[in-house]
Amino acid sequence: MRHLLIIFLALAFTSVFAHADKHVNLGDRATELKDEGKSRDIHPSLAEIRKMHPEFLLHKRDKTLRQGVRTQRDSLKECVNCHSSTKNDEYVPINAPDQFCSTCHQKVGTSLDCFSCHRTTPKEGL
Amino acid sequence: MNKELNRRDFLKNTTAVTAGVATIASGITLTTFAANDNPVTNEKRWGMLVDTNKLTESNINDMVNACQEENGWGSEIHSTGHQKPSWIKKIKVKDKVTGKIDMLPMMCQHCEHPPCVDVCPTNASMKREDGIVLVDKHLCIGCRYCMMACPYDARSFVHEDLSNQKEHMPRGKGTVESCTMCVHRVDKGEMPACAEAVSSNGVIFGDLYDANSKINQTLKKIQSTQIRTDLNLNTGVRYSGI
Repeated sequence: MRHLLIIFLALAFTSVFAHADKHVNLGDRATELKDEGKSRDIHPSLAEIRKMHPEFLLHKRDKTLRQGVRTQRDSLKECVNCHSSTKNDEYVPINAPDQFCSTCHQKVGTSLDCFSCHRTTPKEGL
Repeated sequence: MNKELNRRDFLKNTTAVTAGVATIASGITLTTFAANDNPVTNEKRWGMLVDTNKLTESNINDMVNACQEENGWGSEIHSTGHQKPSWIKKIKVKDKVTGKIDMLPMMCQHCEHPPCVDVCPTNASMKREDGIVLVDKHLCIGCRYCMMACPYDARSFVHEDLSNQKEHMPRGKGTVESCTMCVHRVDKGEMPACAEAVSSNGVIFGDLYDANSKINQTLKKIQSTQIRTDLNLNTGVRYSGI
């Protein structure tokens, strides 16, 4: 019974903090979607995507590369599409210091290597 | 033509229409799903037939340019000479006895038994179920064993930091890369860029296993060869006219 209580309290606290801790730079498209109230259609649970996105991406990359499954869900391309922001009519690379990925990754001290190969801005020619 | 519709005709017509709609509808659903959600299977094997008699030198240049444009390689400024990536290149072969000269495009031959996959220590070099040979750059450690093993010199190593890559083709320093048979296009049901760049029948792309495909039927009819047949690699890219 005590265990259950602890788990419940832990979950309650994390969800409270997760919601209180607003993202500094959400990206242009993502902000639009959030204002329209559609962000929960894409990420049903904020806590889940925050904790599990590395696993989602890892799973998806193998499915795409090795099995040719090219769906939008959990694709890095789609992350970049929504979470990039523009400055002077140009996209800022998503791995730049104050951008969506880096704000958290810097805080928690992870250094990832997605963007030495992957494109850092949405689509070519914008 | 003022015929009254009797019961039998009515039934006949409605059945035909329903059957027709059902066929079309099921066709649409099947193709949409096949393009996205389902993993590729070994029921297909993608291949290419290059007819050197129908290709001029400028055709081959067009193929190389189309590949560069599609996949975003070729503008590396710090790499020199042999360091520069080349996914597809123009090769000149000369028969020493007769003096006959052929120009041909050379890229990854997408072998059934690829030596590059055999030697890869991290399983980065891999063959998809449908026969396309790829490098999983997430796993590639840049040891370049595969470049040594490839009899066609088809692979390149990226020697410098890159930026502004194509959205569909991630490339980066320290990994090996090669022709992907434009896998991102093939998965969408399109042709590789190089095959599309040649308007004549010089390059035929298709499913080698499908008896109705143009490539299968052409291969049945005409004389064609694999390069280095002696290695028994059963390549997916075939040549005729050499």
